[in-house]
Amino acid sequence: MLSAEEYLKPEVVREIARLDLRAQFIVKGFLQGMHSSPFQGFSVEFSEHRKYSAGDDPHDIDWLVYAKTDKYYVKKFEAETNITGYLVMDLSRSMGYTYRQNLTKFDYGICLAAALCYLMVHQQDPVGLITFDEKIRNCLPPRSKRTQLGNILSLLTKLRPTGKTEIAKSIIQVAAMLRHRSLVMIFSDLLADPEPVLQALRRLRHRGHDVILFHILDEAEVKFPFDGVVEFEEPESQERMKVDADGFKSDYIAEVNRFRETYRRECFQSGIDYVPIDTSMRFDRALTGYLLSRRSRC
Amino acid sequence: MEFVNPAILFGAGLAAIPVVLHLIMRQQPKLLEFPALRFLQSRQQSNRRRMKLRHWILLALRVLAICLLAMALARPSIRAAGMLGDSEAPTAAALIFDTSPRMAYRTENKTRLEVAQDISRWLLPRLPAESSIAVIDANPGDPVFQIDQSTALQRIDRLDTSGAGRPIVELLEGALRLLKESTLVRKEVYIFTDLSQPAWQVDSPDRLQKQLAELKGIGVYVIDVGVTDPKNLSLDELQLSGQMLARNSPLRVATALNSEGMAGKFLVELSLIDAAGQPEKRGEETVEIAPGESKSIDFPLITGLTEGTHQGTVRFVGEDSLAIDNTRYFTVQVKPPWKVLVAAGAPVEDRAENFTQALAPTEFRRNGQARYTFDVIPFAELAKRNIEDYAAICLLDPPALEDATWQRLGDFARAGGGVGIFLGPAATLQGMNTPAAQELLPGELDHQASNPDGVVSMSTRDDQHAMLAKFRSRRGQVPWEEFPIYRWWQFKNLHDGVAVALPMVNDRPAVLERPFGKGRVVTMTTPVSELSDVSDNNRWNQLWGIGSWPFFTLTNEMMLYLVGSTEGQLNYAAGQPAVLHIDPNRRFSTVLVSTPRGESLRSSPNQLNDVQVTATGSPGNYRVRAGGDTDGVNLGFSANLSSEASRLNRVNPDRLTEVFGDLPFRLAKNKDEIDRNVSLDRVGRELFPLLIALVAILLAVEHLLANRFYREPAPSAAPAGAAAARS
Repeated sequence: MLSAEEYLKPEVVREIARLDLRAQFIVKGFLQGMHSSPFQGFSVEFSEHRKYSAGDDPHDIDWLVYAKTDKYYVKKFEAETNITGYLVMDLSRSMGYTYRQNLTKFDYGICLAAALCYLMVHQQDPVGLITFDEKIRNCLPPRSKRTQLGNILSLLTKLRPTGKTEIAKSIIQVAAMLRHRSLVMIFSDLLADPEPVLQALRRLRHRGHDVILFHILDEAEVKFPFDGVVEFEEPESQERMKVDADGFKSDYIAEVNRFRETYRRECFQSGIDYVPIDTSMRFDRALTGYLLSRRSRC
Repeated sequence: MEFVNPAILFGAGLAAIPVVLHLIMRQQPKLLEFPALRFLQSRQQSNRRRMKLRHWILLALRVLAICLLAMALARPSIRAAGMLGDSEAPTAAALIFDTSPRMAYRTENKTRLEVAQDISRWLLPRLPAESSIAVIDANPGDPVFQIDQSTALQRIDRLDTSGAGRPIVELLEGALRLLKESTLVRKEVYIFTDLSQPAWQVDSPDRLQKQLAELKGIGVYVIDVGVTDPKNLSLDELQLSGQMLARNSPLRVATALNSEGMAGKFLVELSLIDAAGQPEKRGEETVEIAPGESKSIDFPLITGLTEGTHQGTVRFVGEDSLAIDNTRYFTVQVKPPWKVLVAAGAPVEDRAENFTQALAPTEFRRNGQARYTFDVIPFAELAKRNIEDYAAICLLDPPALEDATWQRLGDFARAGGGVGIFLGPAATLQGMNTPAAQELLPGELDHQASNPDGVVSMSTRDDQHAMLAKFRSRRGQVPWEEFPIYRWWQFKNLHDGVAVALPMVNDRPAVLERPFGKGRVVTMTTPVSELSDVSDNNRWNQLWGIGSWPFFTLTNEMMLYLVGSTEGQLNYAAGQPAVLHIDPNRRFSTVLVSTPRGESLRSSPNQLNDVQVTATGSPGNYRVRAGGDTDGVNLGFSANLSSEASRLNRVNPDRLTEVFGDLPFRLAKNKDEIDRNVSLDRVGRELFPLLIALVAILLAVEHLLANRFYREPAPSAAPAGAAAARS
């Protein structure tokens, strides 16, 4: 029998057909792991507390927390603890790629989004869904009811990555669309010119939104496990290129790393959380990224 | 640099294979979908440059590895002084043994040959494995490499001295020809010799030096197995008064005893072998000799020899270190007196008197010791006379003869007889220049020449002809000038094949010889039949006279030559083929030859009824028999070492330098010296190990570089918790 943490592995989750169950198992696996993680004692309950500061009413001190941690925490008002989240999913054709993994980038992103949705709904955070390729295609307004999970999952299961990519334009659209300060979680492979995308992200950030950028690449796009002479074809533009894969590997990986480093640096400077993922990684890595972001707001 | 397998160098052409493979066999690419193509495109240019350089480096390494491998398999080697040599490389070695009789010299209970054999048995296992070894001695035949070391050892064990030695230089030339055929790079020659002078005789060493120069780097080792101070007594070649003797003719045997390092009184015995094969002493001489001296020995005349073949020995009684030269052997054949027909002008007896007396004095005829019996006739009877039974016919001052007579004389000579023509005043140009006369005469008569002052005489300064053998020992001392020639016949041109046997001091021919079929014609240009009362003005010569021993000797030798006694050689040098004539009327299909070693060989006479025996390497008396004891033939001959064969005086070291020229050789006397010399010389390095090591290094470098060029880079550490950094 699989332990809950096994459901953090993509190859295991893949065996679960239903997306809602996938989400549930991922979350449970994540939470299970939390007990032995550096985050021990830092549960989602703590998202409802903040540190005691001068001027707070001592009656609001949570003495149970004090007994556990020897520190003074007061409970937050409910209003203080809720954040509105938007799951922004890239539907471009490149997201439907995998070389040899169990899940395509899109499937991985969906599982991740579903798990995050499950987590947020469980914490009574409103969560919505926006999908895009060349422009925004779908939009589900954020709700905190448990039925929102079903709505989002229902839409996610119907989605197919087929279009061309216009990430920057789509993010700008999202920025224009959002009225209130939100947590925008973007799921994309970012296979476009970085500068427009970064500008769009800065604009989103400039409007006061918190942004988590889940940069999902296929394992092959990160590790380049090819050999011999290979002719590669870009699925969206149909461009082709013949390379000696063995000789190109180090150059390619250097370029990918440089690309990721660019995003990491720029996102850091812009206050955007950048989570680089490849489809061979366990889901807890992405979820931890969400969790840290969540904590920072408390 | 030398190569053992130069043909393998062509394998370097295989270095083209990686290039061809690269050009022809380009891999067909597989087509894959890959969304992240932009990352490849951005690095395409720089990657292409770098990959090209890496490909060139790897290609160069692979090509170089193949070339070096081909070179290594070609087994190159270089020689350089001071380098540590690969002493284990196989060697083509020729071991040359001097097996002349001198090598039987015994000291400390070992002959020189046995010492050489011991050293070679020690040397052979020290030759590198898989060496080719040839063992060469004086036996006839081309040298060959032995199958393996044990066969070479057996060959060495079977070595034996032989009477027929061959000069070392001749053996060495044969060895060099063999070594040239070998594909082994290292070549060595070991010469086992006593360094005696006869062994190192060579007229011109140029050919040897050229052969040595062609074999670059060959090691030549002269192993001295001789003794520095040899002591030996030896007997010189025998001098016999004749090999073919007339019945009752005495036999004179003379020799000399030579001493190298020995002194004292020594007894020398002369023996004849009787019918039972036992020696019968017929003379002895005691000789007192000092070191380095040579003393002549003249035995008393042996008389009473019956008709047939007689063999004997002369030996020094005692022992010395080299026994083989202590005994000499001889064979003579005693025949009935030769019948000679003498034709002269009137008065016949008077004209033939001097001539026949010189050849067979009255006293000898009376005692039955005369070699010849004469029938003296006038020229007129010559045409009718039956001449087949004579051994020779002499014409003393012949006039013109009938053509038929000349033809009869020609037939006689052609059948094996001898014709002597002594020209004188009776000859005329017309009579002697007829075609029939010219068939026998040496040339056309031109004129009578004269020198009345008496300063012309015969001259034996050039005494090579068989008729002049007796004068050789007195060269320069024959007083021909006391017996002048006043008149002689001169010829216009000499016919082909005519030789001047004896000239005069003015270089005009005095005696000419013309081979004629099986026989010969000897012509003298001045007469031997002048009467004693001829006036001085008319006299042709003063050949006869008191004390005229030179002409007496010449006449005897001429007659022996005419009757063919000098042809019957019965005494040979060891190794020289012997030829015995059997009477043409006695035919046998095979004859039995008994050797001094006790072996019996069968031989068959040829068409001329001659028996040739080539196995004469052992000194001693040989017997040739056929047809049984009563009605058969019983002939014999003797083989002796040459005097030089036992001369032990050593060569000067400079002589070796003359023989080898500029080419280096090493001289050794014992095993330590041989070891040192050979170790010194075995320089030169086969490069195979070095090249193979280089190939291995190259392949390792290629492997490392290929792995480095194509290694998988470490996956980038995804910065987990990037948000933690922000917070």
